[in-house]
Amino acid sequence: MSPRLRRFTLLIGWVVVLAAVGAYTAHTLKISTDLRSFMPPAQTPDQKLLMEQIGEGPGSRLLLLAINGDTEERLAELSRNFSAELRKDDHFSQVVNGEFNAGMLDDELLPYRYLLTSSFDKTPLDEATLADELGQRVEDLGSPAATLLKPLLPRDPTLEIMKLAEQWSPPRQPLVRDGVWFSPEGEALLLVQTKAAGFDPAAQGEAIEAIQARFAASKGKDDSAQLVISGPGYFTVLVNASTRGESEWLGRLSTVGFIVLLLLAYRSVAVLGLAALPIASGALAGVAAIAVVFTEMHGITLAFGFTLLGVAQEYPIRLLSHRRAGESALESVRGLWPLLLTAIASACIAYLAFFASGVTGLMQLAVFTISGLLVAGFSTRYLLPRVLPVKFRDAADTPGLGRLWNWLEALPRPRWLPPLLLLIAAVMLWSASTPFWQNNLAALTPVPEDLMQREGRLRAALGAPDVRYLLVIEAADAEGVLELSEKIAPRIDALVGQAAVDAAELPSRYLPSLATQRSRQAKLPDRTSLEAMLVEAETDLPFRAGLFAPFLDDVEKARTLEPLTPAAFARSPIGARIDAMLVKRDGHWLGLGTIIGMHDPAAFDTLASETGGAVRLLDLKGASESLVASYRERILRAFVIAIVLLVLTVFIAFRDIHRAWHVLAPMTLATILVLAVLRFSGTSLSLFHLVALTLAAGLGLHYALFFERTTPDAAEARRTLHATLVCVISALLVFALLAWSSLPVLRAIGLTVSLGVGFHFCLSILMARKGRARDAG
Amino acid sequence: MCLILPCLASAAEIDPLALVSGLQRELPARTAYTEVRFSKMYDRALVAHGELEYLGPGKLGKRVDKPYSETTTIADGEVTIQRGSRTPRQISLDRIPELEGFLRGFSALLGGDAQALQRDFDVSGSGSKAHWQLRLSPKDKRLKRRIDALQVDGAGDKARCFSIIDADADVSILMVEDLAAIELPKPLTQKNVELTCRRDSAP
Repeated sequence: MSPRLRRFTLLIGWVVVLAAVGAYTAHTLKISTDLRSFMPPAQTPDQKLLMEQIGEGPGSRLLLLAINGDTEERLAELSRNFSAELRKDDHFSQVVNGEFNAGMLDDELLPYRYLLTSSFDKTPLDEATLADELGQRVEDLGSPAATLLKPLLPRDPTLEIMKLAEQWSPPRQPLVRDGVWFSPEGEALLLVQTKAAGFDPAAQGEAIEAIQARFAASKGKDDSAQLVISGPGYFTVLVNASTRGESEWLGRLSTVGFIVLLLLAYRSVAVLGLAALPIASGALAGVAAIAVVFTEMHGITLAFGFTLLGVAQEYPIRLLSHRRAGESALESVRGLWPLLLTAIASACIAYLAFFASGVTGLMQLAVFTISGLLVAGFSTRYLLPRVLPVKFRDAADTPGLGRLWNWLEALPRPRWLPPLLLLIAAVMLWSASTPFWQNNLAALTPVPEDLMQREGRLRAALGAPDVRYLLVIEAADAEGVLELSEKIAPRIDALVGQAAVDAAELPSRYLPSLATQRSRQAKLPDRTSLEAMLVEAETDLPFRAGLFAPFLDDVEKARTLEPLTPAAFARSPIGARIDAMLVKRDGHWLGLGTIIGMHDPAAFDTLASETGGAVRLLDLKGASESLVASYRERILRAFVIAIVLLVLTVFIAFRDIHRAWHVLAPMTLATILVLAVLRFSGTSLSLFHLVALTLAAGLGLHYALFFERTTPDAAEARRTLHATLVCVISALLVFALLAWSSLPVLRAIGLTVSLGVGFHFCLSILMARKGRARDAG
Repeated sequence: MCLILPCLASAAEIDPLALVSGLQRELPARTAYTEVRFSKMYDRALVAHGELEYLGPGKLGKRVDKPYSETTTIADGEVTIQRGSRTPRQISLDRIPELEGFLRGFSALLGGDAQALQRDFDVSGSGSKAHWQLRLSPKDKRLKRRIDALQVDGAGDKARCFSIIDADADVSILMVEDLAAIELPKPLTQKNVELTCRRDSAP
């Protein structure tokens, strides 16, 4: 086999293997988008609850809908049709638009109204009550509301269904016009609860698509009406899409730049394609490793992983720049391998610390990066040289490179510079006034201001519950939760009276405890006595005899019913609400009350101390920030271990403290400088900054390693400079573009890496050892 | 043909809008009324007595004295209902736009504002100047679903009966002015009450 044919066969084989691995992972790997798998395991009960409630709590699964752009009459009609459409849809557990919905309790559950209503707790259902109620119905029938009430009367002369509907409607009712909710601005309003978790962008995306499709179907040809969606789930989808959109756009731009750069540097299209193979192999290997170990990969792991794998793009560049006349590619790579291996090994060993962190997302990141770096490194060593074309241009001959080298060499390298920089960095770090850490993850992916304002306006108009607070009611069983909920209801009313909170929704609002239901049942009159009462009550009233037979039937049925359990109630449309408010956990039950308009969280403290913590206010924002903080602690610990491992690896590889110092010192100082600049400019650090710092440090390690290397001749020194310059420019191309992004999360990564690359490059030149061979001219 | 024509001509002489304009009266206007309500839910007609009050555009009052006590006042877009000794209930008319339309129409009728009336109702008339009938049919579809028509019987420049015909054919007839005090026909059927409204008033 000729060398050329051998090279070609190997290349085909390589690409085929890559394609096969790619097909395998695409087939087996599931990408999860649920943010929670990237969070640490919850420790405290509140954190556990938080992990569930992030996205699954009744508040965060709500979508607020508004329809505008038409006459009030049309909008009201559209609201009714649209709601009916949405109620048929499997994505939603509840759809409310203010309509009185007599079908809220289906026929089978209708007799239960006498166990659910509190109407007869103080005054029993007796002759006097009946006479009073029936008298009112005569008055109602003389009022404009008559046509609405007429169909209900025979079965429900005391209008319990309407009283329950009123009780079950949101505690702070929006405006009602033409029977449906309207905002003060004249938009028809709807509240929709999704079955999917609020912070699962994929599932929320499906729900939102379903909403839009249903809306299009219900509005038909009337195209002037417009739908506005708001809510946590919608923002998740929106932020996800804009982040992806912007990073894709920037990615394409930097890819073009990268291609142009490599073409300029190596003047060969073939080389360009081949240089991509090691990093492609690394990325595929990383994904495949996760597919084998975890089967499910988090979207964030994928994004972070690709970012960190950016280091591997150095490997082929080093090989390409260091090729020289009279030496095969294989021989060139052999010369570079000790340094490359040191870089690869130290990075891999450092990432082992991530694996030990115990957080699924970080463990995945470690598996991905380590296997990716290893495969990219070893394919650069053993495969790439064998497929590179024999002909090449010596990078040392690049015009102007020699002059640049001489200029760099002639730069003064004062010994006082590093300590001075350190001092300046210390002052900058000390003088920064913003908080060191950014605990609010949402601040990195902010929702546009106008959308936030709209959200606030719709939430206020709808009286929708707060996403931040939950009232937790804890007991041994569901019955205990409901009893406790009933017990504290007057206390909550008192808090509403004190204006500590606008309103609160307790589980017992939807379903009374079994005990309460039984006591109501016991008080209901039997059929014969009720019939007698009815006859007496009707004496002076014009009602037709026998009109209320369906009422007699229902009360009689209610007397013998098994009290309604949460499980049985959950099957009805309104029961879905109680289902979301009762959670079973480790052998006990939690009731989740929603809060509307919190003004004074401290006012709930007495309630908590009186009940021994069985009833307490959970601040989801506070809990999530504490969770992020404890999470960061774990990550920082992993970082510290990683740094120690890295230092050890470099020392062991060099077996020379002096040399190791010259590699590690610029790296450390550059990292400190990046931190100082970020902090001085008022940036609070987040997880994203830490990942970016790690990548920059990885790149810096390469620069320092190669500049530290003693070079046999001036041409080789120029090749090192060439390789490093290509690496620096390509890194800047990618990350400086990100630094211009409008999204704080992309800006955080872009800015940190760009700064890092700049500092690492300058310091590794300025702090390199003196006395290397110079280019004579 | 020619024998019938004069009859038609006399019917055509009733200009409903002119009739409405002619109803205009001094403010405030008050009248006692007797209301007879016929419903499929009732085995007999329900009779109520009270007073109607018209205080100017958009301001109406209806007081029920017998058999129960209730005062409904409408002013400045707010309906206030006071029943017996219960605390009064207030409802903003914004919430029930169809009721707002109905009351606007009623107020326009009492105020003699023919143009305002035409905005919310299809107006048709029949009878003679001495004994006329107006039929106001709501233009608003939502209101039409609840109330089929408002019918007014009158003589000269005075309205005598207001009949509110629900969409399900339940009827409530308010007899005002001198009819409020007359003895109700026996048996008390819808037909007899309607005849009373159209008969010459007692001298």
